[in-house]
Amino acid sequence: MILRATRFLTMSLLLLPAASFGAETMTLKLVQPVLVDAKEGMMKSPQGVACTSDGAFFVADTGNGRLLTYTFKDDAVKGGGEIKVPQMTSPLRLQLNSKGEIYVLDGKSRRILRLSPQGSFLGYLDIQGLPAGAAPVPNSFKIDAKDNIYVLDIFSSRVLLLDPSGNFQKEIPFPPQHGFFTDLAVHTDGSIYLIDSTNSMVFAAAKNAAAFTPLSKSLKADMDFPGYITTDRGGSLYVVDQNGGGIIVLGADGAVRTRMLSMGWKPGLLYYPGQICLNDKGFLFVADRDNNRVQIFEIK
Amino acid sequence: MNFRYPTLVLSILTIFLCMCLVSHAEENDLKFKLKPGANGKLCLGCHTAFKEKLTKPAIHTPLKKGQCTGCHNPHSASHGKLLVADAGNICSTCHKSVVPANAQSVHKVVAEGSCTKCHDPHSANSKFNLLKGGNDLCFGCHKEMGESVAKVKFKHSPLVKGCLTCHDPHASNKAAFLLKSDVPALCIGCHKTDRPNFIKSHMNYPVAASRCTSCHDPHGSDRAGILYNNVHKPVVSRMCNQCHEEATSATPLKTKKSGYELCRGCHSTQVNSMFAKNMVHWPILSKEGCLSCHNPHASKHNGLMKGDLITTCGRCHHDTIRRQEKSQTKHEPIKDGKCVVCHDPHASDNPYMFKKATIIDQCATCHDWQKHSTHPLGEKVRDPRNKNVSVQCLSCHRSHGTEYKHFIPFPSTSELCVQCHEQFKR
Repeated sequence: MILRATRFLTMSLLLLPAASFGAETMTLKLVQPVLVDAKEGMMKSPQGVACTSDGAFFVADTGNGRLLTYTFKDDAVKGGGEIKVPQMTSPLRLQLNSKGEIYVLDGKSRRILRLSPQGSFLGYLDIQGLPAGAAPVPNSFKIDAKDNIYVLDIFSSRVLLLDPSGNFQKEIPFPPQHGFFTDLAVHTDGSIYLIDSTNSMVFAAAKNAAAFTPLSKSLKADMDFPGYITTDRGGSLYVVDQNGGGIIVLGADGAVRTRMLSMGWKPGLLYYPGQICLNDKGFLFVADRDNNRVQIFEIK
Repeated sequence: MNFRYPTLVLSILTIFLCMCLVSHAEENDLKFKLKPGANGKLCLGCHTAFKEKLTKPAIHTPLKKGQCTGCHNPHSASHGKLLVADAGNICSTCHKSVVPANAQSVHKVVAEGSCTKCHDPHSANSKFNLLKGGNDLCFGCHKEMGESVAKVKFKHSPLVKGCLTCHDPHASNKAAFLLKSDVPALCIGCHKTDRPNFIKSHMNYPVAASRCTSCHDPHGSDRAGILYNNVHKPVVSRMCNQCHEEATSATPLKTKKSGYELCRGCHSTQVNSMFAKNMVHWPILSKEGCLSCHNPHASKHNGLMKGDLITTCGRCHHDTIRRQEKSQTKHEPIKDGKCVVCHDPHASDNPYMFKKATIIDQCATCHDWQKHSTHPLGEKVRDPRNKNVSVQCLSCHRSHGTEYKHFIPFPSTSELCVQCHEQFKR
């Protein structure tokens, strides 16, 4: 028993530095760029990408007004089938729920569409029970593991928390001093993060918190214009520097751990990236907007 | 009795100051082992021009007392003009309280320690050793302001009296722009808000706590009431209730609708055409809506813009503006603050909110590229670095500039070319 405990303690102590400094030593290895659909048609300004743990991934092929579905297994990408519905003109961001339903933010209608896993239109996200006030204008949203939906409502300067059926649960107002929020992230522990693109700052609200507070200082020196944010299981935050062509990893404390990738056109480089998706197999999918492709990286 | 007490205090202070100066003089005499009586006379023996300076009405106290050594070392110094401290810091060794500890704004020249831009360190014809008297001194640097103030039809009388009526020349611990108090407190000092004329001219709306400078140009304008030159039509026609609730309501300053929905009431064609596009500029859809960029009442700038476009666009797109500032080659529309030459600030179907459908078409509105460039461009020419993109202007240039010449993202043209033409790589 004592021997086991000692072993456990030793292992924990040995692993502790690895966990703490993991982000600093993190690198991305390009697996492959994804350029075309099943009919060899090129992507055009893809802004969104969503992925699953079983290797499926979906691309918001924004410029072509469609979604593309792929599978990624054993380092090989297959598929590229098209999903096109008349309600979807300019798909910007994607999220998947546990049933495999696809949620799409459409830039033109500024509404969130629900599609079946096969791609048929199920309806718009119909928010029920909102307190009196203006209808929300989402410029981003996220879905957590329990299928709760978090909507970044820029018209009313708030984050809406909805249950999986779209029923209003609560709202958290934007902090009093802020620039322009372009995205939010939700961690498995229930914390919500906002990325302020104009001030390059991250704000956070712990689970059940009623307000957002600054998590980081201004990170203008580290990024040009952050456009997207997500988290991993360990609590690290991944911020996409849209105008700087890179991905910045922040610790749970908001401090910059590392910057990955750089701007360019060649494979492995980014040109005005949009959404990213991390899957639990250690792969990172990047909607590389102005390179008209999605790139898959292995996180090392 | 009332008269005697301040006189007494003043006398004590004067005596104290004299004692300090005398003691300082003695200190210098000892330090430099000056001959008896030499203090103040010795320097003038060679620097004869200073005799004339000593006839001017305003003389710097150390000079008046003959203490040249207050600022200069007679033998050697590490600073120009034998100054005992750096020219940027020497004044603050005595004038410590010029910038208050919690200053909210500091005059740039003060922050830089360039006191001599306004003051003559020896003597001057104007009080406080100022190089010029009155507003002429300020307008020496703030030329644009001077010219505009001279031309305006309706002048603000405090400005005619002097800039220092409202501004502190060194620093302010109360407000931005070196203001002696923040707006509206500063304005209310003169403009009594309970007077019938004031109330009537503001259509009975309780504006006493509002920011006066959101409508009025404190430096004067060509419009009555020194409103900014560009005024929103409902303000001109005194129809405040077109946007705001009635003056008699419980919340008179509240707008009837929020964000862009309020503006849509009149500007429906504009708003509807925006919403017909694939991408609306996000700030329009925010809580601030159109007011993210426009002033609702009046503005110095055309289109009721909050500022010039570099400032307005740069509030969010600071990285882009910064890139242009650093760029070795300047792109004229950006340099001139004409972001809207290329971008539609409201909505667009095109990449980067361009006005034209393709990047080549956009650049070709100014650059007749086909006549000066033989490099193949266009949809059919694929980029060797990434076959999913075609070769277009931004394949080689970043339109807002880079740290290199000609907006190219590499230090030299050859480094740029070999990105695609790898066979020529050395």
